Amino acid sequence: MTKTALFIDGVAKVYPHRTNPVRALKGVSFDILDNEFFTLLGPSGCGKTTLLRIIAGFEDITEGHVLLYGDDISSLAPNQRPVNTVFQQYALFPHLTVFENVAFGLRRLNRDADDIKQRTTAMLELIRMAEYGDRKPSELSGGQQQRVALARALAPSPKVLLLDEPLSALDLKLRQAMREELKSIQKQTGITFVFVTHDQEEALAMSDRIAVMSNGEVQQIGSPREIYNNPANHFVANFIGEANILEATATPAAGKKAKLTFNNIDIGTVELPQKLDGETNISVMVRPEHIHLSPASAKTKNAIKGRVKDVSYLGTDTQAHIDLPNQKEILVRMQNNALETNSFDVGDDVHVTFSENAIRLLED
Amino acid sequence: MAGMASPKGNKAEASIVDGRLGILLLPSWVVIGILLVIPVLIMFVYSFLTQDFRGGVIWTFTLEAYDQFFIDRGLFGDEPAQLEWTYILIFWRSFLQAFFAMIFCLLIGFPTAYFMATSPPKSRSFLLFLVTIPYWVNLLIRTVSMKFLIRDTGPINEWLMAFGMIDEPIRMINTAFAVQLGLFYSYLPFMVLPIYASIERYNFVLSEAAADLYTGRWTTLFKVLIPTVKPGIIAGCILVFIPSLGAFLAPDLLGGAKNFMIGSLVEEQFKGQAGDWPFGAAVSMILLTIIMIVLLFYARSQTNSAGRGH
Ligand SMILES: Nc1ncnc2c1ncn2[C@@H]1O[C@H](COP(=O)(O)OP(=O)(O)OP(=O)(O)O)[C@@H](O)[C@H]1O
Ligand SMILES: [Mg+2]
Repeated sequence: MTKTALFIDGVAKVYPHRTNPVRALKGVSFDILDNEFFTLLGPSGCGKTTLLRIIAGFEDITEGHVLLYGDDISSLAPNQRPVNTVFQQYALFPHLTVFENVAFGLRRLNRDADDIKQRTTAMLELIRMAEYGDRKPSELSGGQQQRVALARALAPSPKVLLLDEPLSALDLKLRQAMREELKSIQKQTGITFVFVTHDQEEALAMSDRIAVMSNGEVQQIGSPREIYNNPANHFVANFIGEANILEATATPAAGKKAKLTFNNIDIGTVELPQKLDGETNISVMVRPEHIHLSPASAKTKNAIKGRVKDVSYLGTDTQAHIDLPNQKEILVRMQNNALETNSFDVGDDVHVTFSENAIRLLED
Repeated sequence: MAGMASPKGNKAEASIVDGRLGILLLPSWVVIGILLVIPVLIMFVYSFLTQDFRGGVIWTFTLEAYDQFFIDRGLFGDEPAQLEWTYILIFWRSFLQAFFAMIFCLLIGFPTAYFMATSPPKSRSFLLFLVTIPYWVNLLIRTVSMKFLIRDTGPINEWLMAFGMIDEPIRMINTAFAVQLGLFYSYLPFMVLPIYASIERYNFVLSEAAADLYTGRWTTLFKVLIPTVKPGIIAGCILVFIPSLGAFLAPDLLGGAKNFMIGSLVEEQFKGQAGDWPFGAAVSMILLTIIMIVLLFYARSQTNSAGRGH
């Protein structure tokens, strides 16, 4: 059984203001497991940084508690919490060398000199910067500063490491390389990581579990696969990857099952949480890559008729918007293959199909 | 910053920019030349000339002025040469006074600057404005009013006596304390402003990072904030120390004869008809030399400790 590293217990945060106080967190509760790579994902302003700063102790809590391995740390000052942070803009001490930056926390903890030297050197080796110990932060590239910030926060072996969008200042290539590196460092050190990002791709690639946040609330928590495949609601479906939300009509079938039709076309049978009384409208989601297009001339069963509105060629994929009669458009993503079979032109009439396994129900 | 390398190899463009910069710098070179270099050269030359008895100089070369400063030959100049202590002591006293003025300005100025730089942006400009208020009034007038404030029959002593806290006036006027007070009051803003500017630019996330790494508030102050804003502190110290060293209003008006400082010594040589211009020039040159040596050593130590820094 895995232990709980951090327990966020009904945490609410209001930033006071004379006229309009901001409710940045509206009572969130969840736990983060020992040795987990946990990501807080959400759009700008949803309260990710606020939650991280509350865990670190930089903001006081309006309501609720933060428990670290069972101990309530809510009222401890930041320097009393065995939790370290990697700041978004690194915040390296400009007057200290790389070595002294990394050794900073250890010195404050009064470790003995040999211990400090050994641990700092080990950290510099971990980030592959052993020969940079004498440099000042201003003499490093962005990626190197980033790694030093990571080493500095890891050196005192915190119980939990907090990272606030640590990769956002790096360029794309470096960002992708750092993803791998962060992930492997987390596995090597066995320290629980709480990672903040608004980049869903980053979150999917790195995390053991993700908490999707919006508007100061947690929308869904789960593994990347769960969150992508079974988004709990509209927000999560739209925020993680791209989603087509279709308003379908459900008619009761055997047991809790229901038959779905869309534009009077039978699109499949799904199992609902409870039995339907009569015909209802429900929203379902289909991912763009699960939709198949075929020429209107082809004989396709249960196809929805549409017309190509635009096509963009994206290298590995081709993406197209299809206008559906009396419904909004839908997005289709097709992998490009050697045979160039995805050559549709704007204005072509097409048949749109998808398997019933591709249909996801959304709660509202 | 790394990763922001400017395109190199475009020499033509670079030299146009350099040329333009040269033109832009011209006015300041002219001002520095006329107002700084030429007067200092005149003083340098005067210090090697012969004293004329009603002020002014006679154009004959002599080391008389420097001799008078360093060497004591008795009242009639016929005794064996000895080191003259009078002026060295005045220098020593001036350095001490200036040093303490600098320390007091730092002790009061740093917290003031910190407070100003950390108050809400809207009130900062108002606080800055408050700091400049004393400059609306001439320094002479401010120093004279200080004299009225602290003299034996001034309001401070009278109030203290009226409230029965003291029986007889505290002697403040004509003491080293009064000189300190005058210097402190005159130059405090020179300490506050550069420190304010550097604390305002300080990234307070660094303090959070320190707190995050198990550092208490005082340690953060001394291990992170102060080292980071050090250039501002040094600038403030120089801006207080050097004018304090040459100040003559505060020592003259508040310090009396016992607290004679370099500034007054020089002033006296050029005032009225009793002065000795070459001697005044020599004293200034000696002071200038000492300051230059100190600043050079400081600059040297800075470039060494900055290492490869750019
Ligand atoms: N110090 C503050 N005072 C007042 N309101 C604040 C403060 N800090 C944040 N807020 C508000 O709280 C809300 C949440 O902010 P927070 O910084 O936690 O968002 P975020 O999820 O980290 O966003 P981003 O991805 O842009 O960093 C926002 O509406 C923000 O305007
Ligand atoms: Mg943020």
